Amino acid sequence: MCAVAKEIPPVWTTGWTEELSTGTWRSATPVHEERPSPCKNACPAGGNIPLWIQQVREGQYHSAWLTLVANNPFPAVTGRVCHHPCEVSCNRGEYDGAVTVNALEQFVGDLALKEGWPLPGPENNKDARVAVIGSGPAGLSCAYQLRRRGYRVTVFEAQPEPGGVMRYGIPAYRLPKEIVAGEVNRLLATGIELRTGTVVRGEDLDSLRKEFAALCLATGAPRAKVLPQFNPAGGRVISGLDFLGRVNRNDIPAIGRQVAVIGGGSVAMDVARTARRLGSQVKVLALEDGHNLPAQAQEVQEALEEGVIIRGGVMVREAAEEGGILNLTCDKVVLDPSAPPGVLKPIVIPGVSFQVSADTVILAVGQDPDLDGFPVRQGENRVIEVDHCQATSGAGIFACGDAASTDRFVSAAIGGGKRAVLGIERYLEGRGGNCGGEPVPDEVSFKEINTFYFPVAARVERKAADPVKRLQDFREARVALTEEEARAQAHRCFSCGHCLKCDNCYYYCPDMAVIRETLPEKLYGIQDRYCKGCGLCVEECPRGAIVLKEVRR
Amino acid sequence: MLLNGNHAAAYGVKLARPKVVPVYPITPQTPILEKISEFQARGEMEVDIMTMESEHSAMAACITASLAGVRVFTATASQGLMLMHEMLHYASGAQAPIVMCNVNRTIGSPWGFWPDQTDSLAQRDTGWIQYYCENPQESLDTVLQAFRVAEKVLLPAMVIHEAFYVSHALEVVEVPDREVADRYLPPFDPPHRLDPEIGESWGNVVNQDMFYRHRKTLGRSMDQALEAAIEADSLWQELTGRGYGVIEEYRCRDAELLIVTMGCMAGTAREAVDQLREAGVPVGLLKVKLFRPFPVDQVRRALKGVPGVVVLDRNFAPGTGGFLHQELKAALYGLEGGPAVHGCLAGVGGTNVSPTKIAALAREAMGGKPSVFPVWKG
Amino acid sequence: MAYQFAEEKVFCSGHHACPGCNAALAIRYIVNTLGKDTVAVVPPSCIAIISGPQPLSSMRIPVYQTTLEASAASAAGIKRALKARGKDHVNVVAMAGDGGTYDIGFQALSSAAERNEDIIYICLDNEGYMNTGAQKSSSTPFMAYTTSTPSGKPTVKKNIAEIMAAHRIPYTATATTGYLDDLVRKVQRAKEMKGMRFIVVLIPCLDGWGVADHEGAKISRLAVQTGIFPLYEVEDGRKYTLNHGPQGIPVEAYLRRQKRYRHLTGEQIDEIQRMVDSDWEYLRTKFDS
Repeated sequence: MCAVAKEIPPVWTTGWTEELSTGTWRSATPVHEERPSPCKNACPAGGNIPLWIQQVREGQYHSAWLTLVANNPFPAVTGRVCHHPCEVSCNRGEYDGAVTVNALEQFVGDLALKEGWPLPGPENNKDARVAVIGSGPAGLSCAYQLRRRGYRVTVFEAQPEPGGVMRYGIPAYRLPKEIVAGEVNRLLATGIELRTGTVVRGEDLDSLRKEFAALCLATGAPRAKVLPQFNPAGGRVISGLDFLGRVNRNDIPAIGRQVAVIGGGSVAMDVARTARRLGSQVKVLALEDGHNLPAQAQEVQEALEEGVIIRGGVMVREAAEEGGILNLTCDKVVLDPSAPPGVLKPIVIPGVSFQVSADTVILAVGQDPDLDGFPVRQGENRVIEVDHCQATSGAGIFACGDAASTDRFVSAAIGGGKRAVLGIERYLEGRGGNCGGEPVPDEVSFKEINTFYFPVAARVERKAADPVKRLQDFREARVALTEEEARAQAHRCFSCGHCLKCDNCYYYCPDMAVIRETLPEKLYGIQDRYCKGCGLCVEECPRGAIVLKEVRR
Repeated sequence: MLLNGNHAAAYGVKLARPKVVPVYPITPQTPILEKISEFQARGEMEVDIMTMESEHSAMAACITASLAGVRVFTATASQGLMLMHEMLHYASGAQAPIVMCNVNRTIGSPWGFWPDQTDSLAQRDTGWIQYYCENPQESLDTVLQAFRVAEKVLLPAMVIHEAFYVSHALEVVEVPDREVADRYLPPFDPPHRLDPEIGESWGNVVNQDMFYRHRKTLGRSMDQALEAAIEADSLWQELTGRGYGVIEEYRCRDAELLIVTMGCMAGTAREAVDQLREAGVPVGLLKVKLFRPFPVDQVRRALKGVPGVVVLDRNFAPGTGGFLHQELKAALYGLEGGPAVHGCLAGVGGTNVSPTKIAALAREAMGGKPSVFPVWKG
Repeated sequence: MAYQFAEEKVFCSGHHACPGCNAALAIRYIVNTLGKDTVAVVPPSCIAIISGPQPLSSMRIPVYQTTLEASAASAAGIKRALKARGKDHVNVVAMAGDGGTYDIGFQALSSAAERNEDIIYICLDNEGYMNTGAQKSSSTPFMAYTTSTPSGKPTVKKNIAEIMAAHRIPYTATATTGYLDDLVRKVQRAKEMKGMRFIVVLIPCLDGWGVADHEGAKISRLAVQTGIFPLYEVEDGRKYTLNHGPQGIPVEAYLRRQKRYRHLTGEQIDEIQRMVDSDWEYLRTKFDS
């Protein structure tokens, strides 16, 4: 018995347990950590989706838009045409339906155009000049990100108007031309020089390299693929790209009453639905079976609503013209499941061939870049080889978009443009090394979401206009969300991995070991002295923004 | 006033002004509860009577009410006291100065309603001060003394009298004036108490060392109770002219034998002593009023040089015999010239023990050798 | 739907509850809601351990540790004494386990209810004598394993909320840790009332039930969502209000997450499902009136 012990009264208490340390019991420590949400990881443009949706939820629309345009200057465009892998990966999809990210993006994008919000310009101007070849989504994204960083940018465009596939590829009923014009003009207004009607060929690059410190090739994939069984004759077989380009230029081709569209992707759907709007009856013939077309499900659904006939598992064996009509002999096929990914290997089912007649056949079976004469290495897939900074084999020459990728998505092009800027910047600053590459925390999985905190709420998508009315013109086929709908949908977002300062961790700690600082902004801390490492805060975090890390002693 | 022992005790309680009285009825205690309820109903007592569902709960409420800083009283008997047993320890451990009247009654089984001190004596080790009273007046006076002592040393105290012989027997009792009682008993205002303004908690789990020290503290409080009891009695005597001492020596001068007993048996023995003295037999009476703490020094002083002692126990502990007999022998251990100690189990279960019988037992003891075993003497 | 609780800082860090203890979590919200003008009574239980150890207290209010059977009587004694001292505004709360409430403390509890003592009695119900190593109490549910019912308890759990409501005390409620807002509201409500108030709080015992350290609140929610432990309140033994009832989740989802039920056969789970359904059918009629 020591002398001090004798002074401790045996009955009435004299103090508080706060002087005891229970932190020594711990074998794991909770750590508040911002973690990537599946949507963010899935976003080809690297959009901070949980953040801008949170801002929409809070009614901070301008902030939401600024968050969006940090990665993507075209939210009103992508809010309509993005294939939104974010929604496919959305954790809420496993609960009561994915968040309608795409519709929310359109809501914010449209609002910005309506309000006339300007894009943020550069903070400091730099002397270096960069040329961007091509004004599609990739090229303009690249130009915009360069301009934001202060570079002097000149964009070269072969066509009379900028926008690339946004202007000349995607039909107006999916992407109204005034939306494209609005977002492109707003982008150019940040101080980007545009030279339209200027074709840049491979041999021009040397002189450009003298004028510009770096080049970025974003020339897209304008060369439509052809199929050997179709011998283009008399204009009865045309390419989807040409067709859509002409319609978009209001140079309507005569295609006759019966149209056969070959292909099952997005372009095939655009072609088929455009042809329907021109009054034709349309059959789509695709190798893939009808339930597994590469086009997005919603596009397929809308095409069917509009009276497009889709026949999957079909391969055209031969096409013969007879009396002004093309007769297509078709085989039923199945795709060999053992073929490598991305390769279609049809197996003919014998004895079930049939005939399809058409006034016009429109081929929508893919397209390649046109890179003849460009001094950069190309891969077997006929696109420019780039590293993860979009650098090509040519010094100071970068490439992005369809010219450098087989991912034929607008948002992928936007992401590529942004990525190229990281490479260009490193190049211009003489820095080596990799772009990005910092280790990021694990993505938040659905099982880390505490769904108790999220009452079931129905996913609401944009409504489609009446199909009969849709066919009458090229007006937009889908009705944007109202503000009220948008706010309600934004509330459905789990904000995976993003602390919303909800205080659950603070309130659920049995040991009062989570502390909450309120100034200057709310922050949480863990009191090592008391935390027993139970993980209750981790479990009760609604959104996986806390992780338990093993303690090493 | 003509009062029975229970009502006399109730008058004592009224003068002590307890604020909370948790209580549960049991024969032969019930008249105490009834009288206090009557005082309250008539507006003569400002007290919160808690009509508990058991003696266990009654004592539980007593302890906390006391620890919350108010004067507390309760009363019980026999089985009720048995049921309280756990809480009796708890009360002393909490150093809660509760005063409780216990009316001695046989413990079942079998059922009986008769005077027998075994119920309270079996609680001798619970850390309670114990007073045994001879008559209604003593019970009244002792209730007030018990509060004074209990609150001074922070231990609970039992004021005990026997069933019917005291509890229900009417005698002339002088009820002191309220001013006298108030002067005698200052308000109870303990420095440590359950009060949010103080914030101290009571009774958290202790380690071995703390428990050891706590028991030592209890022992010290009990030791101090003896002196406090002597002080309380002499002050009471100053104020009222009545004092009892912690022991009483009656006609002990030159006695060759002392009758030693407690409670109302002392009254009967007093008569026997008178008879014997009249017959020229040198016999005296030693009444033990304070049983806990046991007044060892006082008893040894009183019995030094006395050749013989006969202890009359209206109680019985199987395996050892009479409680007082055993206690007395222990107290006298090693006393040079100490007496031969005879023990008689007399009146166990409430059987009648007359003065003549006591005189006979005294004569018998004077002529014989003491037995180490219990001796049953009706 | 972020929580916002006005806590008075009564409960302190450094207490000795197990990591993730839901009893400690409940105590936090009970005493922090009742506030500093409160005296607590605690019988032997995990709560007693959490309160100490001497000479330190985990609560910045007086806490009195009583005997196992005496919580309600002890609390009543304090309240009466405080009232006598002119401190009637001070809350007196008893926090006892299920053993100290359903079993050995039941007599004192029932009597305090009958006397309508002005106390708040909160039973932290972990369905067994968990502090002594998991023995059965009369709160242990049908077929649950404890060390004294190794084949599963053959009889059903005592329905303490209904028993207390039958005393027609001013307020009876059920609560649990997975619904902290509900718990806090009920404690606040009880605080604002006078007379006997009783709240039984289901406390998943991580060790006794065989549940992971972080899963207590989750399990408690399953108890509610499966209908095993509906959250409701009763005023004056008559006016029933349902707060959170079953949501069509089968009891198996709750049972299978706990080691104390791992011996159950499919038939036994079906039987429990029928019992839970039947209990709910009976209880729900009370909310209609």
